[in-house]
Amino acid sequence: MQTHESNIIRRFIRITGLLSVVLVAALIVGLSIGSSGGGMTALWRGLLNSEPADPVLMTILWKIRLPRVLLAALVGAALSLGGLVFQALLRNPLAEPYILGISGGSAIGAIIGILIGLSQFPGVTLMSFGASLATLLLILGISMGESLLRKNALLLSGVMVNAFCSAVIMFLVSMTQDTRLHSIIFWLMGDLSLGDLQHTVILALFLVPCFIVIFMYANTMNLMLMGKEMAQSMGVHIRKANLVLLLTTSLMVSACVSQCGLIGFVGLVIPHLFRLLLGPDHRVLLPACILGGGAYMVLCDLLARALPQQGELPAGVITALVGAPLFVYLLKRSNS
Amino acid sequence: MQGIKISNLARVILIFVGITALVSVTAAGAQQRQVRDLLGRDLSVPATPRRVVALAPNITEIVYALGQAHRLVGATTYSDFPPAAALLPKVGSYVHLDLERIVALNPDLCLAIKDGNPITAVSRLESFNIPVYAVDPRNLDSVMDTIMRIGHLLQAEERADMLVSDMQARIQAVVERVGHANHRPKVFFQIGIAPIVSVGTNTFIHELIEMAGAHNLAAGNIAYPRFSKEQVLGLLPDVIIVTSMAREAAFERIRNDWYQWQDLPAVQHERVFVQDSNLFDRPSPRLVDALEILARLLHPELFEDS
Repeated sequence: MQTHESNIIRRFIRITGLLSVVLVAALIVGLSIGSSGGGMTALWRGLLNSEPADPVLMTILWKIRLPRVLLAALVGAALSLGGLVFQALLRNPLAEPYILGISGGSAIGAIIGILIGLSQFPGVTLMSFGASLATLLLILGISMGESLLRKNALLLSGVMVNAFCSAVIMFLVSMTQDTRLHSIIFWLMGDLSLGDLQHTVILALFLVPCFIVIFMYANTMNLMLMGKEMAQSMGVHIRKANLVLLLTTSLMVSACVSQCGLIGFVGLVIPHLFRLLLGPDHRVLLPACILGGGAYMVLCDLLARALPQQGELPAGVITALVGAPLFVYLLKRSNS
Repeated sequence: MQGIKISNLARVILIFVGITALVSVTAAGAQQRQVRDLLGRDLSVPATPRRVVALAPNITEIVYALGQAHRLVGATTYSDFPPAAALLPKVGSYVHLDLERIVALNPDLCLAIKDGNPITAVSRLESFNIPVYAVDPRNLDSVMDTIMRIGHLLQAEERADMLVSDMQARIQAVVERVGHANHRPKVFFQIGIAPIVSVGTNTFIHELIEMAGAHNLAAGNIAYPRFSKEQVLGLLPDVIIVTSMAREAAFERIRNDWYQWQDLPAVQHERVFVQDSNLFDRPSPRLVDALEILARLLHPELFEDS
């Protein structure tokens, strides 16, 4: 047992170290490319300060690109973690806040919040949190009669709720007459462009405690994957663990949605990728999803910024374009 | 030892000279003045703006009309009038500004429109110490007010005066001419094809229609109301005016679409007109051109001599 424990710790350190390097590399690449050009050399000149710093470049680097790449990393981490937790709790590889409509639900809350003129924080975030919880309860309620173990019941009710949420969103958008409409539509497709440093810091203060809470349940999730009886016999308080994890995840997802809109597939692709690479132990998967998901999102956002000649793509478009085929590929590989 | 001392002295002198030069340059360049914009904010702008970014197509048009294009270093995506404006570096669309490109152009003044440019983008630009002056051109009067304000900001007061009095004279001429009209045709003004969208009372197009001696069938509280085809047929418009960004072929199709309804007065008298939306979708100095075109379409009998 002793060697097993130290083995886990060694793997944890190795994987965390490796993926931290990947994340930092992604952040540096994200910092060095933007719509005004720039490139690596300009960045390094700015960092190393070998000559009088160009104030314009400094503003672009530290006040425009830095908040944005940090925001992308945070959101990517939170969404990947959200997917991982949902998949463990619901014991379904397709469970993800976006697919199940939790994101859609929190988007409804956020849009209503915006339309009645609440402030971004805490008003819109709270509305979005409330709506995401309601959606979660709705999905669980619909599928509960069928017993949670029947995987399809949960997934199907999630898909239905998601379709309903999309319809409600379209309804709200079509009823809106004013100028906010355009920005709502862009935001719905996942928009990271509005992140300033203050918002990013607030989001971080919000998300990091959530990460820690989930982290404390890493081993519990391992035990729960072995089945209800097994987990209970190992001393897991299943209802409490479920409640804490689902609440924390919903909070995390709605914080991301109210800040950046709907970004899908991150929570599917990243957990699957790492389960395939690292095995099922959540004590390793959790840090891997946080760091790897962050790096993935930073790179997706970079593509969203760099691909078009004019303006930028919504980040959610890139995550879906890259994510959906990648997920199908991973699913096929894990089956074979 | 001696050599080092001399070079040190030289360095000190050099630095001193450098600092003096820098101070004098910034003193000349930093001549600021206090202004209040239409968001009600007091801000400090350079007395002589040299690097201006116009954050909406109609502002670009106004700066060009004032003959101050040499100060422009950037404009938004759809800034295409005058044609030279299309060549300016682009900084995103006016609703989705690309802040990085704006900052990279190192502007000393940005001209924004109230309620058009997102306020979050405006305040972020200001957090980078770029002054943003917001104007609010939404009808003929406020376009003329905007021209005066931008003229003042860009040291082109004389040109602004000329421009505005020319606009006023042309407006006056149209109003006088349509004053002789003995009827006010009912107009359905269509700015959106699918869905059909028209213009309510609180819009500059409504103002143009009324000024051109006609009655706007979509007048009402909603700024851009939607209509079904049925509703439009029920309103029995005497004239239908459609604005579209599309080209000639599509113009034909839009017109033929209405011509299926032979009972419509507008169809019976062949008064379905398709106009280039460029003139009618932005409150710029060209609103007067739009007014003259409308008056001619609505009251051709009054313009027969010219």
